[in-house]
Amino acid sequence: MDNRPPELPGWMTGEEVYIPGKDKSAFVNKSILSVLGLLSRIKTQDTKAASKYMPHAVFMVFGTLLLVVLLSFSRGFTFPMVALVYLLVLLAFMDGRAIRSILKVSLIAALGSALVLLPAALNGSAFTAVLITGKVFAGITAVNLLSHSAKWNDISAAFKRFLVPDLFIFVFDITVKYIYMLGDYLLNMLYALKLRSVGVNRNKYASLSGIGGNLFLRSSEMAGDMYGAMECRGFTGKYRAVKRFRISPADLLFIGANLAIVIAFIYLGRVKK
Amino acid sequence: MIEIENVTYKYPDSEFFALRNISLRIEKGEAVTLLGPNGCGKSTLLKLINGLVFPESGSYRFDGEEITHKKMQKPVFAGKLHQKVGFVFQQSDAQLFCPDVYDEIAFGPRQMGLSEEEVGRRVSDCVELLSIGSLIRRSPYHLSGGEKRKVAIAAVLSMNPEVLVLDEPMNGLDPRTCRWLAGFLKSLHEAGRTVVLTTHNLDLVEELSERSLLFDENHEVAADLPTGSLLDDIELLKRVNLVDECWRGRI
Repeated sequence: MDNRPPELPGWMTGEEVYIPGKDKSAFVNKSILSVLGLLSRIKTQDTKAASKYMPHAVFMVFGTLLLVVLLSFSRGFTFPMVALVYLLVLLAFMDGRAIRSILKVSLIAALGSALVLLPAALNGSAFTAVLITGKVFAGITAVNLLSHSAKWNDISAAFKRFLVPDLFIFVFDITVKYIYMLGDYLLNMLYALKLRSVGVNRNKYASLSGIGGNLFLRSSEMAGDMYGAMECRGFTGKYRAVKRFRISPADLLFIGANLAIVIAFIYLGRVKK
Repeated sequence: MIEIENVTYKYPDSEFFALRNISLRIEKGEAVTLLGPNGCGKSTLLKLINGLVFPESGSYRFDGEEITHKKMQKPVFAGKLHQKVGFVFQQSDAQLFCPDVYDEIAFGPRQMGLSEEEVGRRVSDCVELLSIGSLIRRSPYHLSGGEKRKVAIAAVLSMNPEVLVLDEPMNGLDPRTCRWLAGFLKSLHEAGRTVVLTTHNLDLVEELSERSLLFDENHEVAADLPTGSLLDDIELLKRVNLVDECWRGRI
């Protein structure tokens, strides 16, 4: 390699006179926004500070699963109403941005299920349609509350306490990590495409498929690297989560609330009212 | 040419500032290096200059025109800014998405509507400039780190931008390629190009630019000085955690 600085060609020494043509770039812009949203969400989750007013993730995961199961088994309106009131009380402890985000997802899911059940409602099964829609709203709100209030790694550590197989927990942890890493990489590629799309791009989809291919190659390379690193560090398939915790007043309060929910289910949930 | 006034920026959903009260002015034909410890906001500022992120408060003007999110939604306005400001990413991999090196370098000029003959001329000039003639039909993904960096620079240069913005261009390159790249950037600057870059390679900073901005861990500009004076102020460099007591300064 010749290490002398090169001489620049004529066109590079003058100023470029360029007026771009009109082109649509909404797809790339929307993709950037959605990837950015996902990354911020994961990052916010990860940097969340532990609060002494928050129950431990083990109890939150258990409480959420319990509530979803009880909601599924309930036959009348009363128990879902009680569950919704309970969830609204929990929601009140979240910050405004989280409340907005949780309710947005829950409302969209409930609206979707209401649309699907609309023919049944018009054919005389209005009770069932409204009941199922309410249950969907409550179930999604419960799961979203969990995802907004506990860190991903605390949730996966909680799985370990429920005797979920190591492999599942490992795959869960790695999936979250790689969604973030590949998401960040994808964001940079979309930025690069946006920056270089200075005019009319007739082959937008070819560029996007190039990005997809590049992402796939990158993920396969990263998977290979991780496999090598795991081998080097003596990974045997066992995934250990060694987080000790002491039961706090917040945990006791949460356990009490869940016991009240179970009692409410026993008295109200099994009856079709 | 680039005027940034009291810019503050936070990433979406983040509680932390990525940029805090940044004010700077870069004139046409200047070469400026942004220095600072990891995570101090240098790359975010480069993204702001390229119109990828927008100030939460304060303003950014390019050639006297304020760059706002609303204006950048208009493809003609955005296309014009992106042609004038070329961005070389820290991760060259993320920048290369075409099937081969030729198409990669030709992507920008084709977008600009140049004739295929002119596109070919620009590609061959860029290939010669960066000594990557042997790579022309190879897939960018399979190249080495240094080769990818050269292809990424060629892909940006082929659009003939007025400002060349480079995020850690020396990162991961061997010393010989680093020195070659420093010489290359210097020749671009001498030819009148405005060059803005970030680097941690303090040995080459003086060769790369006459002026440097130093960021601190508080995401603010701690100093805006001639590069030589900045590098001589070892206490300042230590205070912002860029170097430690083992760093002996410039030789």
